[in-house]
Amino acid sequence: MTQPALAAKDLSLAFGDHWAVDRVSLTIARGEVVALVGPSGCGKSSLLRCLTRLEPPQRGTIAIDGEPFGRVGEGGALQSRRTIDRMRPKIGMVFQDLNLWPHLSAIGNVMRPQRVVLGRTEEEARTRAEALLARLRISELAHKRPAQLSGGQRQRVAIARALAMDPALMLFDEPTSALDAELIGEVLALLKELASTGMTMLVVTHEIGFARHVADRLVFMDGGRIIAAGPPSDIIERENHPRVRAFFNTMLAFRTPD
Amino acid sequence: MGFDPNVVLDYWPQFLEGAALTVRIVAVALVGGLILAAIITAASFVRFAPLKALIMVYLAVVRGIPFIIIVFLVHYGMPFAGIRLPALTTGTIALTLFASAYYAEVLRATGLALPQGQWDSARAVGMSPGEAVRHVIVPQILRPSLPPLTNYTMTMTKESSVLSAITVGELTYQGLVVQGNTFAPFEVFFVVAGIYWIIPALIARATLALERKLGMEENAPGTLSPLARRYLVLDRRER
Repeated sequence: MTQPALAAKDLSLAFGDHWAVDRVSLTIARGEVVALVGPSGCGKSSLLRCLTRLEPPQRGTIAIDGEPFGRVGEGGALQSRRTIDRMRPKIGMVFQDLNLWPHLSAIGNVMRPQRVVLGRTEEEARTRAEALLARLRISELAHKRPAQLSGGQRQRVAIARALAMDPALMLFDEPTSALDAELIGEVLALLKELASTGMTMLVVTHEIGFARHVADRLVFMDGGRIIAAGPPSDIIERENHPRVRAFFNTMLAFRTPD
Repeated sequence: MGFDPNVVLDYWPQFLEGAALTVRIVAVALVGGLILAAIITAASFVRFAPLKALIMVYLAVVRGIPFIIIVFLVHYGMPFAGIRLPALTTGTIALTLFASAYYAEVLRATGLALPQGQWDSARAVGMSPGEAVRHVIVPQILRPSLPPLTNYTMTMTKESSVLSAITVGELTYQGLVVQGNTFAPFEVFFVVAGIYWIIPALIARATLALERKLGMEENAPGTLSPLARRYLVLDRRER
């Protein structure tokens, strides 16, 4: 039996006495695309920060490709920082505001982590970066700085930077929130293309159309907990939980059916 | 009584010696101060309250008392600890401590001005804290902190004149000696002023050259706001 790409169990993260993530368990099979939906402040971003260990969870376990990443059970030994750093490339994180490194060119952003973290040679890193930039159709922008790129182009660089590490799983934190309407379609198409290559993805999104047509499963969070999960259309149209219903009724009220 | 520069020209070797020592002291304090400031800055980002408090106290004390008092404290305080060192050494130590506090504030401020996301993205991709600092943080701190660091180095050059109070044979001290021999204080300090004016001007030129070089390497506008750029960047011309 193959291991799931991600298996998170009973994850909890508190800021002070507020549980931002409250006993969340989430398993994502290889090749599966999961849309993470929920109102603002429901803990979606906190969950992603937990999964990348940027915020160490107070409770719970995380396994990536079957390998433990994070606390090994209640009271179990914490993993060393070194182990966590070594496993981090397996999770490709695309931040909401991308966080590209402004002092490096586009290709520099994609090459540097390969060189530093994976110990690839200049040659290997360049070959990989060029292939990815070509695949994302930004080859001609390789030597531009992030500041010289448009929002959509920057998004592609951020995706290339994460993909270059050969992740088992890609996390996207609201990839379209900072973009104007025209670019949203472009980026969603890109994510759809990525999903079709078999990449395992967890996408925090408010784009109901994307969740419906690209995601295999929709997970709904509220108050730090997962309160509904299942096939996207079922959740969007038929889920009876009042919070979920209220959310989608508001979201869909001003939309033409897609 | 006329203005007679010839009086001081006879003493040019002494002025030269003084100027050379001033430059040497400043150079040592510059390098030592930067190393110390880098350590202080790195330590200030470690999440350990007592260490942080210690650093804050150090910065507040060094920045809060007059330089001449720091000089006296180091010079007359070290014998209490059983350490007897020549004035040149204690003076240079005092200037290094003085510089380290101001340099550290510059480095800390530019470091804090970087968005948290820069650190997050470096760590999330698998870089260790050291690697994140080296590959992501330091390259972005370097350029914007160069102009304020230069300003403080120029201030430090001028402050080094205080070391004459503990008989360090730097430029001001030599001026006092020549003045004692010639009884021509105005002429002497006019020349001393001229030499003091030249040293920071040279430092500023060196920085501009360095800035251009870094600028060529990193022509990104960086993360400074336009307002901050206006005040922090030495070269006012549009680039």
